[in-house]
Amino acid sequence: MRRIGWKLGIVLAALFLSGCGERLELEMQAFVVAIGLDKAEKENLIEVTFQISNPQVNTSQAAEAQKEPPADIVTITAPDLLSAKEMAQSSLPRKITFSHLETILIGEELARDKLFKHIIGSAIIDPEMRREAMMIVTKEPAKDFIKNNNPTMETRPHKYYEFIRQNWKHTGYVPLSNLNTFYQRTDHELFLAVYATAQRDPEEHENDDTYLAGQVPQSSGDPVQMMGSAILRNGQMIGTLDGEETRLSQLLRRKNLIEAMTASFPDPANEEYRISVVFNRSENSKIRVNTDRSPAKVEVMVPMKMRINSNLSLEDYTRNEERQKRLVKAVEERLEKKSDELVMKLQEEYGGEPFVWYAATRKNFWTMKQFEDYGWSEHFTEADVDIDFEIEIESFGEQIRPPSLKQGGK
Amino acid sequence: MSDFLKRLFSGDSAEDRSALNQVPNDPFSDRLEDNVKQLEDLFLYPANDALKSRALSIPSINRRARVLFIAGAADTEKINDHIIRPLLASQPAEEGKEPSVDDIKDNTLTITGSETIADFREAVRRLINGSTVILIDGEKNAIAADTAGFEKRSVSEPTREIVIKGPNNAFVEATDVNQSLIRRQLKDHRLVSETVTVGKESPQNVSVLYLDNIVDKTLVQNVKDRIARVDKDAVLTLSALEELIEERPYSLFPSIMTTERPDRTSSFLLEGHVVLLMDNSPEALIAPITFWSLFHTAEDQFLRWAYGNFARIMRLIALFTALLVPAIYLAVITFHPEMIPTDLLLAIAGTRERVPFPSLMELLLMEITFEILREAGVRVPTPLGTTIGIVGALILGQAAVQANLVSPLLVVVIAITGLSSFALPDLGLSVMVRILRFGFILAAFLLGFIGIALAFAALLAYAASIKSFGVPFFSPLSPHMPSSRDLFLRPISRKQNLRPQSLSPQESKRTEQEGGAGS
Repeated sequence: MRRIGWKLGIVLAALFLSGCGERLELEMQAFVVAIGLDKAEKENLIEVTFQISNPQVNTSQAAEAQKEPPADIVTITAPDLLSAKEMAQSSLPRKITFSHLETILIGEELARDKLFKHIIGSAIIDPEMRREAMMIVTKEPAKDFIKNNNPTMETRPHKYYEFIRQNWKHTGYVPLSNLNTFYQRTDHELFLAVYATAQRDPEEHENDDTYLAGQVPQSSGDPVQMMGSAILRNGQMIGTLDGEETRLSQLLRRKNLIEAMTASFPDPANEEYRISVVFNRSENSKIRVNTDRSPAKVEVMVPMKMRINSNLSLEDYTRNEERQKRLVKAVEERLEKKSDELVMKLQEEYGGEPFVWYAATRKNFWTMKQFEDYGWSEHFTEADVDIDFEIEIESFGEQIRPPSLKQGGK
Repeated sequence: MSDFLKRLFSGDSAEDRSALNQVPNDPFSDRLEDNVKQLEDLFLYPANDALKSRALSIPSINRRARVLFIAGAADTEKINDHIIRPLLASQPAEEGKEPSVDDIKDNTLTITGSETIADFREAVRRLINGSTVILIDGEKNAIAADTAGFEKRSVSEPTREIVIKGPNNAFVEATDVNQSLIRRQLKDHRLVSETVTVGKESPQNVSVLYLDNIVDKTLVQNVKDRIARVDKDAVLTLSALEELIEERPYSLFPSIMTTERPDRTSSFLLEGHVVLLMDNSPEALIAPITFWSLFHTAEDQFLRWAYGNFARIMRLIALFTALLVPAIYLAVITFHPEMIPTDLLLAIAGTRERVPFPSLMELLLMEITFEILREAGVRVPTPLGTTIGIVGALILGQAAVQANLVSPLLVVVIAITGLSSFALPDLGLSVMVRILRFGFILAAFLLGFIGIALAFAALLAYAASIKSFGVPFFSPLSPHMPSSRDLFLRPISRKQNLRPQSLSPQESKRTEQEGGAGS
């Protein structure tokens, strides 16, 4: 008995003495759900905006505090993110924690600055940072974006960002951009970040996806729009891609991330109307890079399935194989043309690719060093790119054929 | 201090105060009056009116005799019909051909199980076990006839190990009934029932049952040795015996289990376990046991393969829930808030804002309330049972939350944990899990998930190291031995043809056996 007691004492002492410093009750922490990073007026300083969720609003009936706002917004000017976190403590009684921080907003001005990569690079040192946090580049300063973003239904900000984070999967208007991918592509590869704004500047386009955030013709509702992407190279923003280019850049990847996306095209059977189709990609694209020749050659084959969504011209595609072939051909050609334009733009203006083609290229080399010496991004700007879409019609929608309204008029 | 503890726990066994040994081992005299007087003195007659006697004269030998028995232990109807009536009805024998005591025992009495005895100690032993002693004038031998007639209840339904499908009879307090329940299941001539006694002062019979062709003989010897080593004046029930023959009385892990189901007992016998039965105990002790014996229920085999395994998966989830959920809850909300969805986190944080205690206090408060409720529920007289439900539901559910004493989510955590501990089939396992839960809560409080992981590793290491009668606790899973893999899940019945080799049965395959196969 005495011997066991002694051992038990050691075990308990080890447990008690090992320190419980990390322990903190939930109600004593302030959960930051979004942060905004902006350039401050003074050189090398940044403005950090914390959006802190209020646990007493819309969480549970027992905790409801009716007159409090759903979130508290605090802006601090500091040399870096972590010192801002510490400085915010001067006014906040609860301990700020990033453990539920899943949205990082970056003002375009800061993103285009050299300072940005230093700020974001040092932020990851904090173990509380989540690498799956979504990175959004905002057209205006991030602090204004946070202030102006007041969605009617998702009053609690974390819920808003949680839902919007899923958006790219169904539309492809914005890329998947989280901190993890960002840290993977800090070299010459291009990284696409979600581009958003809360300022409206509507334009009207014929195509449904050639907009950039803010340009979508929308007249009421929440001012926030997320569309297109910001191009980052070496941790610095160098340009933007609109919705259509963003979609194409996701189709040209080897692995599919988008579940489905809707797009419209001029109807080949009747040019005055547009036909809108839903694409989904079940297989991976085939990418072959030939680095033995100069310039290098990239061959991309994108298999896609197409479902006809709305058919404004009311032409019957179901019973006419000839028309189906023409439709497929028209869509393929259009996509190929647009893709070629995008690749050319990237080669000439931005000197890199966001399609993860470097992974396919890397396979051609025996060692990492050989690959690095080869210098893929320089070779990419010169490369011959051959993109081939292979589209298959999956169905013609719920109704087998369009209603025969037109035939009555004939 | 250790001396004190030793005295406290080991009990005082220095002097041999065995009552039966104090009875003089004298042989009977040939005078009837002397023998009767001597027995009456031993039973403190007339102060003690338990010893009943009837004087009569046996016509066949034309001598006086006394029929003695203990009221309450013997069945008087049996005595009247099978002893007194035949004795009185015997025909006077011819001169010189008078029957001997043995002749009377064999040819006059119409009762089985009679023996001749020659001394007082044996007479007392027989009398207290319900036998009737017949003393005959002029004879140095007496007849002891088995007329035991202790009161017993009829076989009823099990109360602890309830099944929906399957046999529904349970052991009662009488060994002979229990043995008959087992033998009805297991019709095998090699089912051995050995009787050993335990308790010095008021000895009780313990039946050791095993299948002679299957069981490991060293195991039987081991069990019998342990029973022989019991040094107590009286062992009244199997539960008391369980603790006395256990290897680790201080351990939380049981090394013997009890079951009240004859069908379960029989299936254990078929696997090569040893079963102990005892009068006054409506259950059977089974040794050795493994974790699987505690985890399985009889119904797993009665239900079809998929249904039985579904129940087992649920039970496994319940086991981990009952053991770990409060600890995980505490670890998550004090150390690892990043683990739960933001909505849930904010809901907990919001309700916790008005709770005045730290999470540990809050959790312990509810846990202890629940344990008290549970204990009260067992002890409360049936007519008051509903009160417990109302008070419990009110206190635990609503009032505590409305008074801001605990957060609502914690009530859910405690309720799930409590419910899960009820789903554990064995009482020992269930209590063990409830106690260990507090250990895990402490570990989570100190070190979060690391604490839980350390505690769990220590628990597993201990559980894997212990043995019950030489059989490792997690065998045949670990150490791995051939078996029919009836562990977490069970294979279909046809494939269960191998006995667990961890019990070293003499016949490893079930199908080679002649009788009793296919439990």
